Amino acid sequence: MNFSFLKHILILLMVFAFAELNSQNYSISGIIKEKKTGELAIGATIYIKELKKGTTTNNYGFFSITLPKGNYSLICMYLGYNTYSDSVVLDKNQTLDISLSQLGGDLQEIVVSGERPDQNIKSSQMGTVTLDIKQIKSLPAFMGEVDILKTIQLLPGVKSAGDGQTGFYVRGGGPDQNLILLDEAVVYNASHLMGFFSVFNGDAIKNVTLTKGGMPAQYGGRLSSVLDITMKDGNNKNFQVDGGIGLIASRITVQGPIKKDTSSFIVSARRTYIDVITKPIFKNTEFAGTSYYFYDLDTKFNYRINNKNSLYLSGYFGRDIFQFKDKSSGFGVQTEWGNATASLRWSHIFNSKLFVNSALIYSYYNFSFTALQDNFEFKIFSGIRDHNAKVDFSWYPNARHSIKFGANYVFHIFIPTNVSARAGETQFDLGNVVKLYSHEGHVYAGDDWDITDRLRLNAGARMSYFVHVGPFTRFVKDQFLKTTDTVVYSAGKKITDYNGFEPRLSLRFELTKTTSLKASYTKNYQYIHLASISSVSLPTDVWMPSTDLIKPQIGNQYALGIFKNFKQNMFETSIETYYKDMKNLIEYKEGSQPQDNVKDNPDNSFTFGKGQAYGAEFFIKKREGKFTGWIGYTLSWTTRTFAEINGGKTYFAKYDRRHDISIVTAYELTPRWNFSAVWVFNTGNRGTLPNSLYYFEQSVNVNYGGRNAYQFQPYSRLDVSATFTPDRNKQLEKRRKRIEKRYLRKGKDFSTIVLPKGYAKNFSQSWTFSVFNAYNRHNPYFIYFDTQGSILKGDFKVQAKQVSLFPVLPSVTWNFKF
Amino acid sequence: MKKHILTPSLRGGPGRRSNLTLLSLLLLVALTSCKKNIDVKIPDYVQKLVVQGSIETGLNPEVYLSYTVPYFGNHTCSLSDFAVKGALITITDGSTTDTLKEVIPGLGYYYKANTMVGVVGNTYNLTILLNGKTYTSHTTIYPVVKLDTLWFKVVRDDSLGYIYTHFTEPAAPGNQYRWFGKRIGKDQSFIAPLGSSFDDKFINGKSFDFAYDRGVIQNSNATDDNNSVKGFFVKGDNVIVKFCAIGYDEFRFFRSYDANIISNGNPFAAPSNLENNIKGENVLGVWCGYSPFIDTVLCK
Repeated sequence: MNFSFLKHILILLMVFAFAELNSQNYSISGIIKEKKTGELAIGATIYIKELKKGTTTNNYGFFSITLPKGNYSLICMYLGYNTYSDSVVLDKNQTLDISLSQLGGDLQEIVVSGERPDQNIKSSQMGTVTLDIKQIKSLPAFMGEVDILKTIQLLPGVKSAGDGQTGFYVRGGGPDQNLILLDEAVVYNASHLMGFFSVFNGDAIKNVTLTKGGMPAQYGGRLSSVLDITMKDGNNKNFQVDGGIGLIASRITVQGPIKKDTSSFIVSARRTYIDVITKPIFKNTEFAGTSYYFYDLDTKFNYRINNKNSLYLSGYFGRDIFQFKDKSSGFGVQTEWGNATASLRWSHIFNSKLFVNSALIYSYYNFSFTALQDNFEFKIFSGIRDHNAKVDFSWYPNARHSIKFGANYVFHIFIPTNVSARAGETQFDLGNVVKLYSHEGHVYAGDDWDITDRLRLNAGARMSYFVHVGPFTRFVKDQFLKTTDTVVYSAGKKITDYNGFEPRLSLRFELTKTTSLKASYTKNYQYIHLASISSVSLPTDVWMPSTDLIKPQIGNQYALGIFKNFKQNMFETSIETYYKDMKNLIEYKEGSQPQDNVKDNPDNSFTFGKGQAYGAEFFIKKREGKFTGWIGYTLSWTTRTFAEINGGKTYFAKYDRRHDISIVTAYELTPRWNFSAVWVFNTGNRGTLPNSLYYFEQSVNVNYGGRNAYQFQPYSRLDVSATFTPDRNKQLEKRRKRIEKRYLRKGKDFSTIVLPKGYAKNFSQSWTFSVFNAYNRHNPYFIYFDTQGSILKGDFKVQAKQVSLFPVLPSVTWNFKF
Repeated sequence: MKKHILTPSLRGGPGRRSNLTLLSLLLLVALTSCKKNIDVKIPDYVQKLVVQGSIETGLNPEVYLSYTVPYFGNHTCSLSDFAVKGALITITDGSTTDTLKEVIPGLGYYYKANTMVGVVGNTYNLTILLNGKTYTSHTTIYPVVKLDTLWFKVVRDDSLGYIYTHFTEPAAPGNQYRWFGKRIGKDQSFIAPLGSSFDDKFINGKSFDFAYDRGVIQNSNATDDNNSVKGFFVKGDNVIVKFCAIGYDEFRFFRSYDANIISNGNPFAAPSNLENNIKGENVLGVWCGYSPFIDTVLCK
């Protein structure tokens, strides 16, 4: 493996980094927090007015900026918070911890300073969007459940798979090409209930960043995007309980200090109660015992050991459980699937210029299905387990450089479809439990470098290595897919290895103070693959490592964009164009069946091909004021070419979508009433539909035409919501009067009655009313061909029918906090 | 749905898929969904020849020939829209050759040999000449594999049930099977239920019980295909079970045929076309040799 190249880059970076060391420089560094709760502020901007230079906090709220000796005005900006400003006399290295107070809070009138964050212009990063959880929560939610994955689908370049799907596609890439991280732990299946809901509970989430292009060197392992989700740390000032009761689920979050200002915890739980509602319906039927529910639990604990060391322990655990029982036939099904993640992180500040975070991470996903009838039993299970260790350094040698470097190592255990079945005492021969073991390693370095005041370059590279090791049994196939031989590898034996060199470059050129041009090139290797036999993502999809048959997916992305802000950064606009090529993509061979995975290698059923995607994304966003929101429009193409699919002819990917528009608005009418609306319109998905009918054994069936040759009707939908936050004082006043009246009636003296003080002070509540699909559009979900009559009698008829999933769906959620 | 679980995935897998379908459909029904008729314009239609050919031990070989028809919207059609006339079909077992005749001259579709009968161990080559094009295939009649015992068992409402069997699968790997049932006096012909075909990949040499439901003809208007009896045998039925050994390619065809049927109307299934064992241009279908084990079960 060519590590020497990386070494050269590192040396080069150091030379640049130290180049300015000779002048007399000092640094200011610190942690930025939210005043009321002590939550770390991610992505807050620190700006030095005199030098027009700035930096942003990392995921641990840490910033560092190195400047020549002098007097400076320092401004700290964070969306939704009052701007902090201070003058600094810089004649030695300084630590400056800042606490920001929330906008609105106590002040009703906000004096907005002339400065607003303009990170979108200044940063060398392109193709990145950060969403604040408050912003996400202000939008209409399907069935009242706030959903991060559905919100990011409203951004240009991100496409939803359609109604009832949390799967998303970024810039023409597949659903397995998105790296979803929750506190740095990989989440392999981010959906509940076949994709209707995502696993992320909005109450436990602080920040969401999506990178869809120009991926910096610290991220890798997937071709298309990184969705980096950070959980709240937990209020380290006061105990706080938030909760909500919705139509299908309830949530509760408890957080508070363990030791004030030093350590805190947060526990957030959510559970659906469809099963509770349906229980009485099924109770006296033969289906008694049939139920479905999901739950998830997020916990985090953090401990600030001292000014330089902090520990974070976070975990997620979620499960979907479906049971089906048919009493009369004795048939039953139990299906369970879910993720678990745990990450233990230690952040350490070496000095004002060097920050390091080390982490031990565990990720787990599994799926199991059991069916029983009489003495027949049938079980399927599959899953993936990751053990990950990583270390990431942030180094701020001087004002012009911000360097990140690090390494990580992952031990993967893949459990593709394993099946067992028995009839009475007879155990069927479905092969041994198959596990595939592999090691994956990465090292990276990247420098964000201000070459001149107008030109910034982010240059980096990532070296990756992947090895598939035994124990492993390879089933060797003939051309008819019959097994002819097996090759057995012993434990630990290297079977195949791959390595990749992944350069990452992005460049920003400031045309004016409010306009910049950006360009980027990234190369990515992806060593793990999701294979889906079905046309939609299901919990049964199987994760597979690269093997001797499956080569790593390789993607190149080129992007060019222009960014401009208007009205003192009140409006952000951008146009980004991209071109992406991908190779070694995988699909199941035509005609593959799920059982082909069993007592066999799943990759024997795979076929490999390439893909292409290009498009343009237009974005305008209003960030502040009573009226906020954005409009995103994407014009895009994406195709696939597989020798063994569609007769080798290039075809459009399922989610090839020419036009995609999202309009997202929120309006604060009064402090009591907030409104929001989302409208989406896009070209219909593509699908493979029958192009003819055939007659066989007294049955007329369908013969499918070209892959994805059919385009569904356009999709469009309007969701609206209104949130009412009752005036607590007014309510208390009413209540006081009510009690007063009662006491007066009884002739008692009211003045002796005292209302509980804490309750009155801290309790707040809100009602959210939302309507999904407000104009009741029948969006296509799937099409099938319905037949009637018999061709022997001459009255045979066939009719194409389109099924739509969700009509207009109103919902109401009650949220509380104390 | 239960039927698939009885011999889950052993029978070539629709079982597993249907369970998922069941699961998802239940969820879908729990939420509201709606459907409407639509017009679809499907590109790139090419007419194909459809072959349904069989030769069974002791019986004359027969071939049903039809064409695919394009999706034709909302008007009725009959067999004559599909039937193929005037094909020259010959079958040879290496020593003798027989030419199949149209059973109802002028209608086409159904072709049958008059003299040749299937013999265990023989391989039969099929040649179809039609409009200057040739289509070929071959199939073998394998030795009979017997079921040990057969019985009827009630699974619902005191009278509805399935046919159960105990089966000892031969020790040597590489066997494939297809199951048919026929109620004497009720069914016109043998009917294969969905998932009728399976191989011994997972059951080689095993001895176990399994069961089959009653196959139903598409859009049948018989009373017991449109009420709670649908898919079940009833107490009093006299059922002939035909359990045939078949070849591997033929098994692959029937496996894909079931997947094809299931894929229509299932949003979670991948569109699945037939894996044919007929060689030629634009042709679908199978030429299958059947080696039947036949037994009768009185449902009681």
